[in-house]
Amino acid sequence: MKLFLSHIICIILGLSSTSASAQALDISAKQKVETKASDIYKSIVRIEVTAQNPSYSNPWNSGKFTGGTGTGFLISKNTFLTNAHVVSNARRILITMHGSARKHPARVLHIAHDCDLAILQVDDFTPFEKLPFLSIGNVPQLESQVRVIGYPVGGDRISVTRGVVSRIDFRPYAHTRADQHLVIQIDAAINPGNSGGPVLQNGKVVGVAFQGLTSADNTGYMIPTPVVKRFLKDIEDGSYDEYMQLGLTNFTLFNPAMRKVYNLKQDDPGILVARFYKDGPVDGILKEGDILTKIDGKSIDSAGSVEIDGERVNMSEIVERKFAGDKIPLNFIRDGKEQTAEITLKPFSASSIYSVQYGKRPRYTIQGGLVFQPLSRNLYAALRLSNPRVRRLFAKYLTENIFKERKDIIILTKVLDAPINSYLTGFTGNAIESINGTKITDIDQLHNILNPETMPEHFVIKCDGLNRPLILPGKDLQKINKQILQTYGIKNASYLSK
Amino acid sequence: MKPIIISLLFALCSIATTAAQNNLPLLRISSTSQKYNISQPWEKKAAVTIRGIGILVGKNQIITTAQMAADATFIEIETTDSKTSMPAKTIAIDYKANLALISVTETPHQELLAKMTPVEIAANPKLDDNVQAYQVEDNGKILVTNGSIRGADVTASFVEGQYFLAFQIKASMQGAANSFTIPVMKDDKLLGLLTGYSAEEQLLDATAPEIIRAFLNDANNGEYIGFPSLGIDISRTIDPHFRSWLKLTDSHGGLFIKHVTRNGAAHKAGIQQGDVLLAIDGNEIDRKGYYKSKNYGPLYWMHLIAGSKKTGEKVTLNILRKGENITKEVTLTKRPEGIIPSHMFGKAPRYLIKGGLIFQELTYSYLKAYGDKWKTRAPISLLDAFNHPEDYEKDRQRLVFLSRTIPTEATLGYEKISSAIVTKVNGKKIADIPSLVEAFKTPDKNGIHTIELDGKLKKLYLDAATASTADANFLKRGLPSLSRTKE
Repeated sequence: MKLFLSHIICIILGLSSTSASAQALDISAKQKVETKASDIYKSIVRIEVTAQNPSYSNPWNSGKFTGGTGTGFLISKNTFLTNAHVVSNARRILITMHGSARKHPARVLHIAHDCDLAILQVDDFTPFEKLPFLSIGNVPQLESQVRVIGYPVGGDRISVTRGVVSRIDFRPYAHTRADQHLVIQIDAAINPGNSGGPVLQNGKVVGVAFQGLTSADNTGYMIPTPVVKRFLKDIEDGSYDEYMQLGLTNFTLFNPAMRKVYNLKQDDPGILVARFYKDGPVDGILKEGDILTKIDGKSIDSAGSVEIDGERVNMSEIVERKFAGDKIPLNFIRDGKEQTAEITLKPFSASSIYSVQYGKRPRYTIQGGLVFQPLSRNLYAALRLSNPRVRRLFAKYLTENIFKERKDIIILTKVLDAPINSYLTGFTGNAIESINGTKITDIDQLHNILNPETMPEHFVIKCDGLNRPLILPGKDLQKINKQILQTYGIKNASYLSK
Repeated sequence: MKPIIISLLFALCSIATTAAQNNLPLLRISSTSQKYNISQPWEKKAAVTIRGIGILVGKNQIITTAQMAADATFIEIETTDSKTSMPAKTIAIDYKANLALISVTETPHQELLAKMTPVEIAANPKLDDNVQAYQVEDNGKILVTNGSIRGADVTASFVEGQYFLAFQIKASMQGAANSFTIPVMKDDKLLGLLTGYSAEEQLLDATAPEIIRAFLNDANNGEYIGFPSLGIDISRTIDPHFRSWLKLTDSHGGLFIKHVTRNGAAHKAGIQQGDVLLAIDGNEIDRKGYYKSKNYGPLYWMHLIAGSKKTGEKVTLNILRKGENITKEVTLTKRPEGIIPSHMFGKAPRYLIKGGLIFQELTYSYLKAYGDKWKTRAPISLLDAFNHPEDYEKDRQRLVFLSRTIPTEATLGYEKISSAIVTKVNGKKIADIPSLVEAFKTPDKNGIHTIELDGKLKKLYLDAATASTADANFLKRGLPSLSRTKE
């Protein structure tokens, strides 16, 4: 389920900063008593990452090099499971076994940002051949005890903490800032560096440690096994397809007057369809004002929950476990009549505007020193965009079907000062509505309009919500552009391909 | 335009201060005001009393700043020796020009004032003219600070965006008991009222005498009308490329008209968005909006309208439209308030409580209540309406919105709904709070109210009977009234 979250309370456990004393690792490794419990340790590896994070404020730059460590574990032959955020934007990955000093180069085989999971492979698996695989278990019971194993901050050796399962809930995943899935809260201390490590119960993996909470002590969160299993199933065909979504916003039917209007008795099931997204799976099937009563044969209560395996969970959980192309039967009431329909799940790319993007180079184009970039969560955060019309376009991008007309919302992000644009700095932060009367739909189109074969006398650039247009003269623009790029040390005037 | 720095008049040395005889009709004013609580509009905040000085300008007419009299629940006039205190009332007030005229209400007090000689209004001063600012200390001592005129500028003092001619005076003032509304005199005639003081620069701003004169003429000529306006929003034309696109030659100045207020003076005269204003009554306007005034050098164009003309008078505008020179005669009017009022002084915010849903009319003060960072903190739906009222004007007098929801049995499940603009109730378009009250009188045959919103949820339903029960409980819990339909 994708959502537009304005505040995120979770913190990603992230990567602990790179430590300097790697040689201290194998000193006492041989002295370890070989018990069954510690056998498993060898399959839990330390992951050292060097990452290059793209810069959305200076998109032509190479980005900042950073690094850190996380945890991963072996689940089958040459398949190490870890968090997506541990290896996002990675340029070099090294895996170290418990009790060994050797660093094994590894690479990302699959990465699923929406559920914060990734699969790594080492170049040479031979040294790992004899290690046991960790098997994936089920959802642990509330109050049952679990062990968290990993390489958190505060030392270089493996660390084990214990805790109990304190809550099973549907919560935001901080990595993309836009996804919500099932989450299990435990009271074991989970710290930076623990990320990607297994949470074990009776020798089986019951979760992957991944995030904490800034406002509370002793709360750690793990990705439960239904999410892990779904990820593993999704990649069976060799590629990851992302989560599916219904593409609607619902409203709970608690209000007695509302129930009366929709002819619902006290215990009748159903939630109200408040909005749906054009081109989403329910477009053409559900309408605003329909009462959705059943999904996949399961009754939806007035709070929007369904029962799965004896637990009441958000109805999104049904779609959460499905894949692209899967069909879901829906029961709904329209104008007092019960109806049924079947929807086919398909990826819905427009919602990615709300997800933090990784592993992608930011797109931009520069003309006359004006820097244009498509709006994204990354850009929004990097530039702290505050223009009210831009905020509104961002907030209503899906619900008002803005994406249908404007695949990209183009923002004038910067003015690289030059004589041609001396008076244009004030336009920074606005969204571009049209240029010379043509509505702007995406960055490629904007790039083409600003780089025609014959330059017009003026580019009349209209910004959303501004009555005074921005005027850029066309004369000598190519020459001027070249000079500006040279002055500001920018190699390419644009980067467009996604 | 220059930002006004209003600071308290503490800790200043008193080099230029001398004691003087009290031969001027100075009076102390003490004004108690109470503002409405923006988020709970049925109640007022704690009362605040401010003290200042007024000066007699006519028969039972004491002039002071609008700031002194705004939202006043009680005004009292005192002689400087504190021997007599006299209840008073506001007879004319102009928030935009920051001027107010008050009178004492009781006959003996009126007789007392009749014994004083009102001051005359000074002629416009010249640069470097000497002037005196008058303060009254707690013990009745009159403090006089000498200063000199440094310049004239068109500034906003009390209501944002309303620019009036003011004089800058270099003077070093000290703190005194009455820090509001300090009269500035020239040759014992009233030059202006102090509206701002920068302690760092030792500069005072005082309303220009011609503004005071216009205000007094208006106030003494039947019902107070107020200063005129053109009803345009402008943008400067400094950018040479913008100028070339507008076909403005180098010999021209010009202001780009980016918005024309609906039903304003310019709108009625056929001025269009995109026109370039070149001159007002033959005074050429430069690219930054200044014209050459006879006595004070460059002054902002607004003075040619608000400071020089009366409502109902005509001005001639030279306009460049699509490269063509045209002339338009405009009959000046008061600027239409629009659907979102710029200030609510002297008015009570209208509201309606229905079963726990709180409906209000959007005002500038409502948004400002989100604090210093209101431009980023206030709800985006309301901010957008404030920034682009023209997109919301149709069928509306005011912008009615559901400000928040108090949990009751009637609003079960709606607790999180807030800041949603209301379009219709029970099928009727909502133009303002009175029309909302009217619309709620007719629920459907099942006793259900339908509220249509411009939000995530388009329709909200409320059971009329349950809502009435909840409303009755509000009254029991001490709410004075479920609605206010008069501003």
